[in-house]
Amino acid sequence: MSLISYISISLILFICGLVVILARKNIIGMLLGVELILNASALNFVTFTKYFNSNIDGHIFSLFIILVAAAEAAVGLAIVIRFFQVRESIHIDSATQLQS
Amino acid sequence: MTYSIASILPIVLLPFFAFAVNSFIVKRFTTLSVILSCSAIFGSFLFAARIFGDFVFGKYNSDYYIHKTFTWFDISGGGLTFKVPMGIYIDNMAAIMLLMVTGVAFLIHLFSTFYMHDDKRYGRFFVYLSLFTSAMLGLVLSDNLLSVFIFWEIMGFCSYSLIGFYYEKEGAGNASIKAFMTTRVGDVFFLLGIVALWTTVGSVTFVDIYKAIATGGLKDSILIFGIGVPVATLAAFSIFMGTVGKSAQFPLQVWLPDAMFGPTPCSALIHAATMVAAGVYLSLRMFPLMELGGLLPIIAYVGGITALGAATIALVQTDIKAVLAFSTISQLGYMVLGIGVGAYNPAFMHLITHAVFKACLFLAAGSVIHSLHDHHTHTHVQEMPRMGGLRKKLPYTFLAMLFCTLAIAGVPLFSGFVSKDRILGDALVMASSSKLYWAPAVMGFIGAFLTPFYMFRMIFLTFFGEPRDKDLYEHAHHEHIQFNSNVPLLILSVFTFGVWFSGSLEGQGIVKVFPESKYEWFQVLVEKPELNKFIGRTSTAISEPESKEFIEHSHYDPNHGMSEEEAHHVHHLHHLGAIASIIIAFSGIFLAYLMYVAFKVNPGWWTNAFSGWTKALKNKYYFDNFYIDGLIKKLMLPFNNFLSWFDMGVYDRIAIDGWAKVNQWLYSVSRWFDNLIIDSVLVDGSGVSVRFFNIIMRTIQNGRIQFYFIVLIVVLVSYLLSFKPVI
Repeated sequence: MSLISYISISLILFICGLVVILARKNIIGMLLGVELILNASALNFVTFTKYFNSNIDGHIFSLFIILVAAAEAAVGLAIVIRFFQVRESIHIDSATQLQS
Repeated sequence: MTYSIASILPIVLLPFFAFAVNSFIVKRFTTLSVILSCSAIFGSFLFAARIFGDFVFGKYNSDYYIHKTFTWFDISGGGLTFKVPMGIYIDNMAAIMLLMVTGVAFLIHLFSTFYMHDDKRYGRFFVYLSLFTSAMLGLVLSDNLLSVFIFWEIMGFCSYSLIGFYYEKEGAGNASIKAFMTTRVGDVFFLLGIVALWTTVGSVTFVDIYKAIATGGLKDSILIFGIGVPVATLAAFSIFMGTVGKSAQFPLQVWLPDAMFGPTPCSALIHAATMVAAGVYLSLRMFPLMELGGLLPIIAYVGGITALGAATIALVQTDIKAVLAFSTISQLGYMVLGIGVGAYNPAFMHLITHAVFKACLFLAAGSVIHSLHDHHTHTHVQEMPRMGGLRKKLPYTFLAMLFCTLAIAGVPLFSGFVSKDRILGDALVMASSSKLYWAPAVMGFIGAFLTPFYMFRMIFLTFFGEPRDKDLYEHAHHEHIQFNSNVPLLILSVFTFGVWFSGSLEGQGIVKVFPESKYEWFQVLVEKPELNKFIGRTSTAISEPESKEFIEHSHYDPNHGMSEEEAHHVHHLHHLGAIASIIIAFSGIFLAYLMYVAFKVNPGWWTNAFSGWTKALKNKYYFDNFYIDGLIKKLMLPFNNFLSWFDMGVYDRIAIDGWAKVNQWLYSVSRWFDNLIIDSVLVDGSGVSVRFFNIIMRTIQNGRIQFYFIVLIVVLVSYLLSFKPVI
């Protein structure tokens, strides 16, 4: 497997995430898109570490990213639940105002 | 003894406190507020008695004084001095005044609890009495003309309110306005005098004015309508006009008879004993200024005319209070005459003795009026033709009134004789040295003949003879000793004896009852301010307690610093005056006896024979007619109408309406400008520009998160593409 194929997969993942974020109206769906983008960047770290560096910094950093993604998902879901309590909807177009 | 602020100021502040509290609680707690008023004035009486005792019996020196000052406000700056000091000044004169005012006021408060008890505005009366008393005491304690003026005006207001106290009675409202407006004429002059002194002396404290006179600071002339007038004359005249207004002197005496519309105790306090005396007190304080201004002959004439004129009017009055009102004016005339002839001490002595016996007379008249209740009209009776024979019904009132009448009539051994005779004696001395003073002296002596006549006429008509209105007499209550109805009268009548004021029979120290001159305390302690003594005087700060032990006693000099020969001449004239006044007094009483008790002389014959005079006297010499029909309706009203025409026809039409037209034109110009430039270009223009930017901003700031995200990505990508690719 060459470097290009790794990066291609990463790029596809990234674009998928981006499209999910831009196209979906469901906030939870958008959060999933964010997860895809994070995973794409984590894959990039691992790839570049494997091909250019012999240490394990990139691997450790990808573990960080997974951790941060989990925390971010928790916070994001909490926000979504709160948002649902206020708006009784998780449609992104109802989030046009900063105050209720 | 030390004098701190805490032992002087309560004299003023206690009645003022009573006033302030009473004005809020009087409607619901009338009894409480009356008790508060009476106890407050009794408290000030105690404080005043302490000062009096110390000044008169402790120090016994005419030079003793307390002068405390503080700066009320000071806005000097930029080379201009504008500093207003206030302060307390107590000398022997003020100490005597304080005791007199508080004592008389307390007894009148006590009497009012009896007299006003059934009135529906019982409590409100005491609110005014307290305010009045505190103002009078403040005036006595003042060390400068400005605070004198302030308290003077407060008293004027109280007088106004009390004259109009029975406002449902017809004429009371007009009488109160008349009193207020007439005294106002004098007050305006007084204020002008204060201003004149302030601009030249730079201060209006008594001590500073004395200093300025002593150092010759008031000799300069100022121009009035092109005529040079010495400042001293102008100021003295203006201040004397204040006295004329307040003390009801000719020609401003018209308000005092009408002031009898007020309740009788207030007449006793305000229009007989204290407030009208305040004018004389002020003139005495400013005596050196009057002397310097050369005003004394005018003052003597004003006093003489007032004393004689009011006495003649009193001859024909039938209302018991009107007789007393005119006798008050007449006696005030004697005080002013005393000032005019340089009899400083006798004038002040007459002020004090008059305050005591006139307060008593008014209270006695109140007692008479209170006891006579007409059951048909439900009013109290004041007309003497309906009285008579009340001696048996009102024995204590009769006793008190008799003593006071003897005092005012100038019968020896009574206080009025001592003081009035000294004034007349001094008038005689002045008349012997200058022809100018003959007329006032003669007028004083004729008045002294009329005074016992009309006073005893009043006594005889009221208390002697047969009751002329049987029904009224039958319903009159029989009098019993009661602490608040006749005890105040009896206390006051005790002080009509001459021995309280002078140890000698006729006040001049010649016919001595007591040999030692200590009994001449009044003459020793009150003397003309000796100006040179004031030059070095300083005052202390108000916060510092003052303690001066001044032991050296003044000794009474019966010659008053004159040579033996002069003194002999003066004594001779005083003797002559004393004998003349005794003869005059008794002949006046005898004439009244012949007319009204023995019926040997028919008063009706006199009124018929001199019907023109009687008519003039009944109309008070047409002064009211002259002022109202002549001065006001003929002179002031046309002038007023002219001014009103000028105001409406000329000023209003040309100036105001013309200015309105100019403004209308300006308005149309500015409206065009406003509509076109301001409104269209600036206001709407800014709106349009805002709307234009608004369109741009609104499309960006649409609140849709995904749109923001696209923008973010576009920006990020374009940013990345502007770099060279790494790989």
